Amino acid sequence: MKDKVLHKLNILADAAKYDVSCSSSGSSRSSKGGVGNAKSAGVCHAFTEDGRCISLLKILYTNYCIYDCAYCVNRQSNDKRRASFTPDELADLTINFYRRNYIEGLFLSSGVMRSPDYTMEQLNAVARKLRKEYRFNGYIHMKSIPGADPLLVHEAGLLADRLSVNIEIPTEIQLQVLAPEKDFFSVFTPMNQISLGVMESKAERRKSRKAPRFVPAGQSTQLIVGASPETDYTILKLASGLYHQQRLKRVYYSGFVPVNQHDNRLPVIQKPPLVRENRLYQADWLMRFYHFSYDEILDEQNTQLDEHMDPKLAWALRNPHFFPIDLDRASYETILRVPGIGVRSAKIIVANRQYGRITFSHLKRMGVALNRAKYFILCRELPAATTAFYPEQIRRRLVKGSQDAGRQLSLKFEV
Amino acid sequence: MQLTNNPCIYTFNGSFEGFLTVVFRAFDDKRMPESIVSRAAQAQLPLGEMVHVETCNDQAARVCAGIVERSDQRNLRLFHVAFLAESAETNMLLWRYLQHLFRDNCREYYRNMLDEEVYALIQTARQVRREAHRFQGFVRFQRTRDNMYVAAIDPDHNVLKLLSAHFRSRFPDRHWLVYDTRRQYGIYYDKKSVQEVRMEAKPFNLNTGYIQKQARSMDEDYYRTLWQHYYDAINIAERKNHRQMRGSMPRRYWKYLPERSGK
Ligand code: SF4
Repeated sequence: MKDKVLHKLNILADAAKYDVSCSSSGSSRSSKGGVGNAKSAGVCHAFTEDGRCISLLKILYTNYCIYDCAYCVNRQSNDKRRASFTPDELADLTINFYRRNYIEGLFLSSGVMRSPDYTMEQLNAVARKLRKEYRFNGYIHMKSIPGADPLLVHEAGLLADRLSVNIEIPTEIQLQVLAPEKDFFSVFTPMNQISLGVMESKAERRKSRKAPRFVPAGQSTQLIVGASPETDYTILKLASGLYHQQRLKRVYYSGFVPVNQHDNRLPVIQKPPLVRENRLYQADWLMRFYHFSYDEILDEQNTQLDEHMDPKLAWALRNPHFFPIDLDRASYETILRVPGIGVRSAKIIVANRQYGRITFSHLKRMGVALNRAKYFILCRELPAATTAFYPEQIRRRLVKGSQDAGRQLSLKFEV
Repeated sequence: MQLTNNPCIYTFNGSFEGFLTVVFRAFDDKRMPESIVSRAAQAQLPLGEMVHVETCNDQAARVCAGIVERSDQRNLRLFHVAFLAESAETNMLLWRYLQHLFRDNCREYYRNMLDEEVYALIQTARQVRREAHRFQGFVRFQRTRDNMYVAAIDPDHNVLKLLSAHFRSRFPDRHWLVYDTRRQYGIYYDKKSVQEVRMEAKPFNLNTGYIQKQARSMDEDYYRTLWQHYYDAINIAERKNHRQMRGSMPRRYWKYLPERSGK
């Protein structure tokens, strides 16, 4: 029995690894009468050799699948070892990992076994067991299986902290080529149902604290980058819509890793497009925390993010008229636009300039990247001539300095 | 206040109250400390005149009250968190900070992040909190035969105190112990409250953090093996990025992490 679980764990963790989302943030649940709580700030419990955070036990219920999506390791036509958990096994595994503080909770996804409804019902059974039998109040993120009955999706929403429906392929035409059984309707129907449910539950809970929570940590989705020919502009436009209309909490970008024997619907690549993926995360960050809109970052003419510099610097060089910025006077939103200045330092500047002039040494102490910022701020410490703004010159200097590929790959944002 | 020019090295018992007593004494003696060190760290010091200060809770409380009076409760908390960094440099920073705080006339001193010491204090507290946050994730419990959950840690800063609320609200229904093997004390929760404990025997293997086999529950090794397998299986080899992994999970923490030990 024990060996059996180990065998399944090896197969079903391996099969789950390409789903990139793993965050456990944005919820709050207390342990009253049971075990566990969910916190608003995410906690990482370990980091794998690829540098990614392990927060949740990310695993598939089964890797059997009746579908055959071209980009997926678990597609039906692949000759692979297959396995399925039972709800008992998976609940036991989760609770025992949780009690040892290996994980923050469970991220449960699955291939489609028998039918979408049957699969969704199995996932719900796991979550139900955890919540009701083990009185588990830790974090649960579940995949909503495309095509599952709305009632099952609703039940999932009452059990989970977060639900997600992966779009995977950013345009419907390409999605239909690569995943013939799917279309945007099957993706957006549950997504819209969930976003509506979240809004309704919030409104209900404002009236009464007793009203049930529905997906309290909101929903997220994933887009595969580089499996199909969409531009970064198309991708950011889609993401922006998802944040505003469907009110998603996160959009994840997953650089395409060719996992299958060559399929002529997919591009042949040597390495996953990690730099591009990182640039998309940076652009996403600009939309969520830096008050940028997607069409400031890219437009119909500039449709691809520059691999050699982060999108904030690229924007600044395209908009020289915006600079230089006077840190002693400019608004918070304006200061945020300066390359090299991040959210924290912008806040400190605005809150503390009443006590004196902001100098280079202050900025340095705050961790501002002066090698970039110095071209974009008004500074009394430098003679005016050296701060004149020549985008081409700045570009040459800064881009040469940022060629270190290792740094670009780090998911940390280069402000 | 003018401080005279015959500096000396103050030593104390390592506690926050002990440190505050030193501050009280130095002000009282009008002597500028050359260094303030806990007795445990004393061995590495250059020679100089040493004055050992016995902790006095009353004097410590008066310094605390002074800090709150000159700033606010939150700032006292910040000050305490920074102290947990436990280094001679931090101690001197805290000393200089208090000198300014108590001398300040406009009473806004502690808010001004453009000031070097104010910023350094905030930054130090941030580092301590960051490590505490990391350890919310890096603690690895083992279940004992009598159904208690125990873990060994060896953090750079003295973060145990900052962990107790987190684990109490997460695991309110079990007995648990988190033990700092370097500082040789732990926090123990008995389903009612959290207490600080010291242990005579050394229950943890200092190389692995494991407790003895006879003390472990029957299923302990099984779940640990599952976890180790999970850790390897979830990694994407094509995206290998060791540097980023080590940045987020530095090597010095690996010894008590079963998924990394021996790697
Ligand atoms: S439905 Fe999901 S699991 Fe099945 S092949 Fe498509 S992407 Fe893979």
